[in-house]
Amino acid sequence: MSKQSTNSLEVRILNFIQNGTGNFGKLLLETFHYQREHNKAYGNYCANLSEPKTWQEIPAVPQTAFRHFPMRCFSENETIRTFRTSGTTGEGFGEHHFRSLDLYESAARKGWENASLPDRIEIALLPTPKEAPHSSLSCMAGWLAKSDAFFINEGVLQLERLRHVLNLATEPVTLFGTALAFLNYFEWLESKGYRHQIPNYSRVVETGGYKGSGREIPKAELYHKFETALGVSAQAILNEYGMTELSSQFYTRGIGNTHIGPAWARAMVIDPVSGHEVPDGEQGVLKIYDLANLDSVSAVLTRDFARRHGAHFELLGRDPAALPRGCSRNADETLQRKNLK
Amino acid sequence: MTTRSIADALANTAHEFPFLGKITAQDLLDIVRMELGHEDILDGFAPYGKHQARAFAPETILHIVSGNTPHAALQSLIRCLLLNTHNLVKIPRTGLREVEEFTQKLPAELQAKVEIATELTDAWITQAGAVIVFGSDETIHAIRSRVPASKPFFAHGHRVSFGIVYEDPTFASTVDAAQDASLFDQQGCLSPHIFYIREQKPGDAIRYAGQLAKEMEAFQEKHPRGALSAEEAAEIFHLRTSYRFRAANDVRVACWESVGNDAWTVIYEDDPWFVASCLNRVVYVKPLPDNLETFLTPVRQWLGAIGIWPCEPRFVENLATLGASRICAIGQMQSPPFTWHQENSQTLANLVHWVDFEPSSPIESKS
Repeated sequence: MSKQSTNSLEVRILNFIQNGTGNFGKLLLETFHYQREHNKAYGNYCANLSEPKTWQEIPAVPQTAFRHFPMRCFSENETIRTFRTSGTTGEGFGEHHFRSLDLYESAARKGWENASLPDRIEIALLPTPKEAPHSSLSCMAGWLAKSDAFFINEGVLQLERLRHVLNLATEPVTLFGTALAFLNYFEWLESKGYRHQIPNYSRVVETGGYKGSGREIPKAELYHKFETALGVSAQAILNEYGMTELSSQFYTRGIGNTHIGPAWARAMVIDPVSGHEVPDGEQGVLKIYDLANLDSVSAVLTRDFARRHGAHFELLGRDPAALPRGCSRNADETLQRKNLK
Repeated sequence: MTTRSIADALANTAHEFPFLGKITAQDLLDIVRMELGHEDILDGFAPYGKHQARAFAPETILHIVSGNTPHAALQSLIRCLLLNTHNLVKIPRTGLREVEEFTQKLPAELQAKVEIATELTDAWITQAGAVIVFGSDETIHAIRSRVPASKPFFAHGHRVSFGIVYEDPTFASTVDAAQDASLFDQQGCLSPHIFYIREQKPGDAIRYAGQLAKEMEAFQEKHPRGALSAEEAAEIFHLRTSYRFRAANDVRVACWESVGNDAWTVIYEDDPWFVASCLNRVVYVKPLPDNLETFLTPVRQWLGAIGIWPCEPRFVENLATLGASRICAIGQMQSPPFTWHQENSQTLANLVHWVDFEPSSPIESKS
């Protein structure tokens, strides 16, 4: 595929994202052919697999592929940005390379808009894109927030500053951050005996994630803390499901609802034994097809479990049995860490 | 009952459970003799050095066993029955058929010495003179916190095992290697995660992996693997997908898998670092590096058994200091003798307390 037609495909995907013009299946199959030809590792993987006739048959790569191989459809020197996974203990980190952030930005902005979120983030419990150039989350927040909206500086959550800003808020605000950052803030508030009542119609977007912290609390418990600490109900909280290996995001509101993706990214829940899509209501492994991943690979097999609800999914989380059973967690982490050398 | 009559009864019952291996009454008496010095030393004073001694077991011992391997649970129970102690056995909520059946087949007098339950009560902990736990470190930690510090507590956490094939030009050991990796669906601490192959010529290890895959399939045909939870199936699915992708891009990786199901998986990886299997008949094959010790560093403290082929003394000395408590032939990894120093120490000897008797004149031995 020539550079011209690549651009053409990119333009058509951008159009699909922004205007909905085009056909997802056709675009994805075209994207697959492009990626198979230009992403060497993916091409090698697909060489022994049967030719997909529909987009649902496109081979997905495991997330670990981003750790072991350069998953890009362009040469290394064309790379303008590389995002890294946060390197959960024992997993190493994967890399997602970009030669253009146009599709990612377009997907992030449009996805945010589709989730009926205000167009500006007032408070991001994240480091700035400058401080965390390899964080796809900070990059996304950088498009949606002003530079003074970031509340993690040199790795430290600015507790007093955050409290001060929230106390002064008189208009609805939108907060964005990882579950761990919110949890840390809430625990600090609790230890000081503080709490907020942020303005009505405020919104919270939490991205899940407790990576590297060794802790995790049930979602209902976290959302209860949101209510106690900020005075926001579960219905005002959205969970954003995304990952470094993808360019698009899925959102759900409150507790017990399904995640809904945009038209250009589809989820499929797979039976781990048969490899086929599970019937509606059944659980399996979550596979994502993301057109915005044009320059890497669009079909990604996640490590997450989900229950299928039509074209949507209920996120069940990462398999708790993913670690070798029986060994202590310490043992597991040591084993896996060493395996990365 | 005397120790000898108990040993007879236990051997008779164990005979009906072939997976325990061939156990005679003398085998059991040998454990008593080797660990406590004399076969009759639990029944009365017996010679002990220049004097006499008598060993007393706790009246009651609490066993908390995991569902992974009935073998370990039964060995623990048999050893403690040999001590003529009363046994409280906490089995998993889903039951542990072998332990229940074994108990039912014991003579009434011994059967009365075993109580089985699926819930662990504080009353049992109070009643027990010693506590033996098999399970994950989390389980052990949780139970330890409920047991008074003064009470003897023996924890058997999970271990990882592996095999080394030093010389096997015809790959004859693959039959036994497949058995070791498949028995108990690889859940036990003696289940091998990896076979290291000393290559006589380049490519031996990958060829061994291919042959092992055939034997894994053959074992599966005779002894199908048990059902998996969705999480376990997903783990194998992820592992296979990951290694397939790597294999397509890296000649140092190859994988073989059962067709149409996830019954077994063999992964060849030319990377000497120890890697833990996700279990359920997923086994790695790697070329044996010169300095294996280095590549085992992360797991040294968790080593269980090392299976070797051929199982000859010339290979043992270098392995003895690695940390494993057992070095045996590939094919025997899942059949530890009752005299095995589990956790690198004695079992009966740690449970008893002693009373010495120093008569003014020597007394004749009973046996």
